[in-house]
Amino acid sequence: MGRALAFSDDEIIRLATEEYIAVTGDDWYQRRRRDAEGDFFRRVVNQNPHKAPEGQSRQGLYCFTASGKLLAYKNHQDAESVREMLEQGLAAWNRLPNSVRRPGVVKVPEPGKLDARYTRTPPVGGLVLNVFTRILDRDRQGKCVKGSCSFAGGDLSARDHLWLKQGEWRRLVPATAKKGDQFEMPATVAERLLCYHLVDNTRGEPPFWASKDIRAKRLTWTVVQATAQDLRLRLDGNVLLATNENPAKARRGYEARLLGYLHYDRVRKIIDRLDVVAFGDHWGEGEYTPGARPGRKPLGIALELSAGKQAADRVPPEAARDLEDYLGRDR
Amino acid sequence: MKWTLLQLLMGALTLTGGLSIQAAEPLTQEQFADLHLLIKPSAKEDRWNRIPWQSSLWEARRQAAAKGKPIFLWEMDGHPLGCT
Repeated sequence: MGRALAFSDDEIIRLATEEYIAVTGDDWYQRRRRDAEGDFFRRVVNQNPHKAPEGQSRQGLYCFTASGKLLAYKNHQDAESVREMLEQGLAAWNRLPNSVRRPGVVKVPEPGKLDARYTRTPPVGGLVLNVFTRILDRDRQGKCVKGSCSFAGGDLSARDHLWLKQGEWRRLVPATAKKGDQFEMPATVAERLLCYHLVDNTRGEPPFWASKDIRAKRLTWTVVQATAQDLRLRLDGNVLLATNENPAKARRGYEARLLGYLHYDRVRKIIDRLDVVAFGDHWGEGEYTPGARPGRKPLGIALELSAGKQAADRVPPEAARDLEDYLGRDR
Repeated sequence: MKWTLLQLLMGALTLTGGLSIQAAEPLTQEQFADLHLLIKPSAKEDRWNRIPWQSSLWEARRQAAAKGKPIFLWEMDGHPLGCT
């Protein structure tokens, strides 16, 4: 949410782009990793006099030098605080002697072996999908529109990624497929989609669904075109996810319809379209996502192939912290 | 052909155009395109992406040293460029 709240400000964009090297990190990984990057990170953030006790979160905004000297820190994401912190950091940088600031003065060694427990990279030969989630409303004519809520930033589109292994996406495009064929979404892909990505992450890190929360599920692919060059499929589905077998008693739930389209280029052997929409009513909230709108309210989730060109495209799925649980043991 | 009151109401809603969807209805191809666009971030919401963010602290450190610039780190529980 801070993305849009603070980093839409023209001066912040200019400062971060022109005056700094801007980098982002997920503190869950960074504070735990035991390698050169983790050591450097701890050396910087532990200079913050307001830091939380050892082992706890180090989240915030930091300015520092390539040699590891902390210049400024804040843990507020409103535009004014961020701008002020960037200006303070730049002023502290400019007070340093030239001999410290000159390009090439600091020598950065190779990072050495990475701590694999806290390093995530997309599966080799796999697919990365962008996952967007937004609260929706219906206007007086019943038309679906962007939703509004009292939670700051809760009306914005939230992001995550879905990772598919090579073997998983290949099972979606069978070599023998012919027009009219139907098959169900492979179970591992269906469970990953439902449990980890049909969630309400519009107000922060959401609770995921357990397998037992899948109360109803139909995810059917239909082959709508099959030629020597192309394979086109349509996904039709409906799901009921609920924390109680009786949805009326469930503290959280999502009842949704799904529609999706896939295009496989049989010549280049690549999927170049995989778009899915889930639309339905969501209710309830999690420990870290308070402030949900009361009752059942429309929630939309859209998936598409990621271009894979920017840092944001390489961000691992939120649920991939437990990689074995997310991708399976044979990852 | 017999029409129920509900069918007539649903037909009237459809004729009004736009994204008139009830959760229990199957999605149509037209609704799909509109919903996909509606759910994705607007250009205004995506302005943060104009900043050339790095995703590796070590790579940022290397670039900062080479260019003689300070580093700006945005660190969150849950990746700032994703997850929420």
